[in-house]
Amino acid sequence: MADIIIRYRWPIIIGFIIITLIFGLQIPQAQIQPDFETYIPEDIPARVNTAAIEEIFGGTDVVIILLETDDVLNLATLKRVQLISRHVNRIKGVGQVLSLFDSKDIRGEDEMMIVDPAVKRFPRNPEQKEVLRQKLRSNDLVYELVVSTDFTMTAIILTLEEGLDDQTIVGEIESIIAENPGQEKVRIGGMPETRLSLQKDIARDFGMLMPLALGLMLISLFITFRQLRGVLLPLSVVIMSIVFAMGFHVWLGWELSILSILLPVMLIAIANDYGIHLVASYQELNAECKLWSKSELVKAVLAGLSKPIVLTGLTTIAGILCLLTHLMVPAKQLGVSAAVGIAYALLLSLFFLPALMSILRRPRPVLADQRQQRFHLERGLLFFGRAVAQYPRRVVSGAIILTITIAGGIFSLEVDSNIINFFPANHATRQTADLINTHFGGSENLAVLISGDIKDPALLRRLDHYESELEKLSDVGNITSIATIIKAMSRALNDPDEPGYDQIPDSREAVAQYIELYNMSGNPDDFEQIVDFDYQNAQLIITLRNPDASAIKGVIKEVKKLMEGDRDVSRLGGQSLITAELSDIVVRGQMISLAAAILIITLMMMLLFRSAVAGILAAVPILMAVILLFGLMGYFGVRLDIATAMLSSIMIGVGVDYTIHFLWRYRRERQEGLEYRAAVLKTLTTTGRGITFNALSVMVGFGALIVSLFPPIKFFGFLVVMSIFSCLIGALVLVPALCLVWKPRFLEPH
Amino acid sequence: MKTILILMSLLIFGIDNLLLGQAELSIEEIMDHSRDNQTLSGSEYVGTLVIIDKKGRERIRKIAAASRRYEKEKVDKRIIRFLEPADVRGTGMLIFDNDEGDDDMWIYMPALRKIRRIVSSDKGTSFMGSEFSNADMAAEDTDDFSYTLLGTEDTDGEACWKVAVVPNDEDIADDNGFYRKIMWLSQNDFVARRIIFFDFYDEPLKEQSNRNIILVDEKNGKYRAGEMIMENVQNGRKSIMRMDNIVFNPAVKDEYFTTRYLEKQ
Repeated sequence: MADIIIRYRWPIIIGFIIITLIFGLQIPQAQIQPDFETYIPEDIPARVNTAAIEEIFGGTDVVIILLETDDVLNLATLKRVQLISRHVNRIKGVGQVLSLFDSKDIRGEDEMMIVDPAVKRFPRNPEQKEVLRQKLRSNDLVYELVVSTDFTMTAIILTLEEGLDDQTIVGEIESIIAENPGQEKVRIGGMPETRLSLQKDIARDFGMLMPLALGLMLISLFITFRQLRGVLLPLSVVIMSIVFAMGFHVWLGWELSILSILLPVMLIAIANDYGIHLVASYQELNAECKLWSKSELVKAVLAGLSKPIVLTGLTTIAGILCLLTHLMVPAKQLGVSAAVGIAYALLLSLFFLPALMSILRRPRPVLADQRQQRFHLERGLLFFGRAVAQYPRRVVSGAIILTITIAGGIFSLEVDSNIINFFPANHATRQTADLINTHFGGSENLAVLISGDIKDPALLRRLDHYESELEKLSDVGNITSIATIIKAMSRALNDPDEPGYDQIPDSREAVAQYIELYNMSGNPDDFEQIVDFDYQNAQLIITLRNPDASAIKGVIKEVKKLMEGDRDVSRLGGQSLITAELSDIVVRGQMISLAAAILIITLMMMLLFRSAVAGILAAVPILMAVILLFGLMGYFGVRLDIATAMLSSIMIGVGVDYTIHFLWRYRRERQEGLEYRAAVLKTLTTTGRGITFNALSVMVGFGALIVSLFPPIKFFGFLVVMSIFSCLIGALVLVPALCLVWKPRFLEPH
Repeated sequence: MKTILILMSLLIFGIDNLLLGQAELSIEEIMDHSRDNQTLSGSEYVGTLVIIDKKGRERIRKIAAASRRYEKEKVDKRIIRFLEPADVRGTGMLIFDNDEGDDDMWIYMPALRKIRRIVSSDKGTSFMGSEFSNADMAAEDTDDFSYTLLGTEDTDGEACWKVAVVPNDEDIADDNGFYRKIMWLSQNDFVARRIIFFDFYDEPLKEQSNRNIILVDEKNGKYRAGEMIMENVQNGRKSIMRMDNIVFNPAVKDEYFTTRYLEKQ
């Protein structure tokens, strides 16, 4: 094969460059998709139900403008709120607006029903201000909804029609705020802003992480090889495979998700491995065989390395393809694109690099320098090797004890799937969301669809009962339904001492008349979100104060318990349900992909070494690394989320390489007649060096993720470095110890 | 040849003069005529309001109403009673539309057997949940708006004046819910045939067409649109207000405009 490569080296080089360019041209069309909702398949019940509810009532996206100052009832602040609300009301696509000036004050007084804006006129003196404060405190439509209990914050809440562009709406709101300046601190919250902010940060991460990872890779390559060529050859493979993989991703019509940030970094960390081995071998031979021609050198390099490179490449691809078992769409996409990128890197390393090397002038030998560099490492490896060779049983039992100890952390492992937790705690978007959750009852919600005769008093009473029960839960913020409005009407139409006050009326006619009366004094948009045109479907909207999946699940459980057996309750949906469902999907995907990766890698090892024991031997360090990973996540409070759920497949696919390299060499040394301990020492000081460099370059590449703007991605970087390190120790310490304790037959000379 | 030229020029001048004759009306005069022609001293009617959502579903309300102008008290008094649908039958409203100051309004709900006075500083943007605003249903206060004559144009075969209407300040604009509107007023009866409302982006928001113009009061030349259709071009909703039966009656009983009468079935 090497002959063919050398004969067709020019077509090979040009061919690869053209293919890379063709796919690279796709990249400018990339679209960033920040919406977590789209990350789970459309046919999942939570999305089906939410879509069905939104089909009837429209979307529930809101933008919330928060103004903060020492007292929102100050004249200047009120005037500013009034101006901002007036202008946002006019934005195209904004439906209902809630604010101190748009929300109503509906009350009954002296046989009158009074409908006023919540703030009817500006207070002129401190007394009037306190009167107004009292009035707002007793107004259900305002208190804790558009004004915080301590009056330091007020909200302007905009309900949006569907199909609005996030950028446009947030941009218009920002310019309205800028045109109406003031002392108050203004924040914008809600899903459109969150998505926009996420989109911005994803783009920033792409721009920041890739150059950093590349830079780190260049430095580590230069330290390793001390030669420009040693840097440029692996670099060309990495860059071409990133361009190819990203182009391929876009060419398939896939959007860039938050997980796509991992794609280039993964390729930087993994794709250069094969090139590094080639360059290392080329450098060694170049120094040793000074009389060989360029072509002869290349042939010799390929002859020695093709097989292990292909094998380690295939196991990595297999491990990463296990991401396909996730239900999450971006995880599958990441699996495919990364696998394709690695396969391309493999092809580049086997064809493009040798073709290139056979053209380039022979460089000056650098082996002497390298020896100097590797001196300490060799001593270290020798030291560990001796320890392992001497006390293999202690190493094995030590590893078992360590693993069991850290395994305890698995029980405190938590799951998280909320989009907002992707932002660091000091991020404006996250802080605004926290403020909305603590002071205004939250902006994310669950929706219950009620189908039946909505004007039926019995049905409305049940709704009212559900509301008052759910309101007792600490994670529940506000609940809105047609029953809320009917009750508010009953308070306005009856005096407190009359029987109908604060009650759902007894007859269907009375309900119909309340609604008709509301229609006369209100806006048709007010009802659109809670009851449909024919009064056959109604929606109970429950906002949640706590965005965590576990809190959402707690509320869902209560909702289901409470409404069990109610035949009019037809569906449960809403963004929070999707968040809860996503957390289940993350856990399920994690377990299935983990099992699949371990199984596939074990099977591959069995086939490779033609021995069942080989599979088990390779599985042991992987299992240990997996247990350590989840244990440490539990201890450090790193939650399992859509990013960290990608870890185990990647770690297994990459980490098994080191065991393969070790076993491959160890078997050869045994076959060549070395006794057990000598074979271990020999393997550790030769291949052990290559394994260490390989692992270090992977760790350095992934290490770049630590500067990501998103904590889950940072944790991913930190954890992947730790995992690769434990795989490395597993391959260099535990596997040799196991070989010495077990003395498996497949490694013995026949 | 000469005679033909003279005849032609005469003809042209003649037509020109005729056109000028009508165009001589100033915009103020046109608007005064328009308002005057639609001010009835008293009437009774049965009407149907059809509210249609964007999916084409209909909600139908049948109402009986009476109104009378009390010139001395500077108030229009109106009473409206629901006939259909059955569950709101008998629900009534009594409204005193004061020329100056807030309006007075009482409602009667048969299911509660009770009258409640409604005091609302917020007139609401919608008339009974339809696409008509309350402002669309009442006579416009000409002091609140600036009118510009844009020219003449035919609409549905009717020669019309095309008039641009702009609210005088932002509060008025917000209360009425439009940035500006363009009306086509018939040159014949001064009743609008078509009105296009523009939103605050100056894009078309809703379009009203008036059909079946009825000469209600022959003696004084007072008109009413027998059918008004309001179509919201942005959200696809549509409402139709139809006068099934309208009678000019300057002497509607005073008794009708009392809360006592409101309670009577």
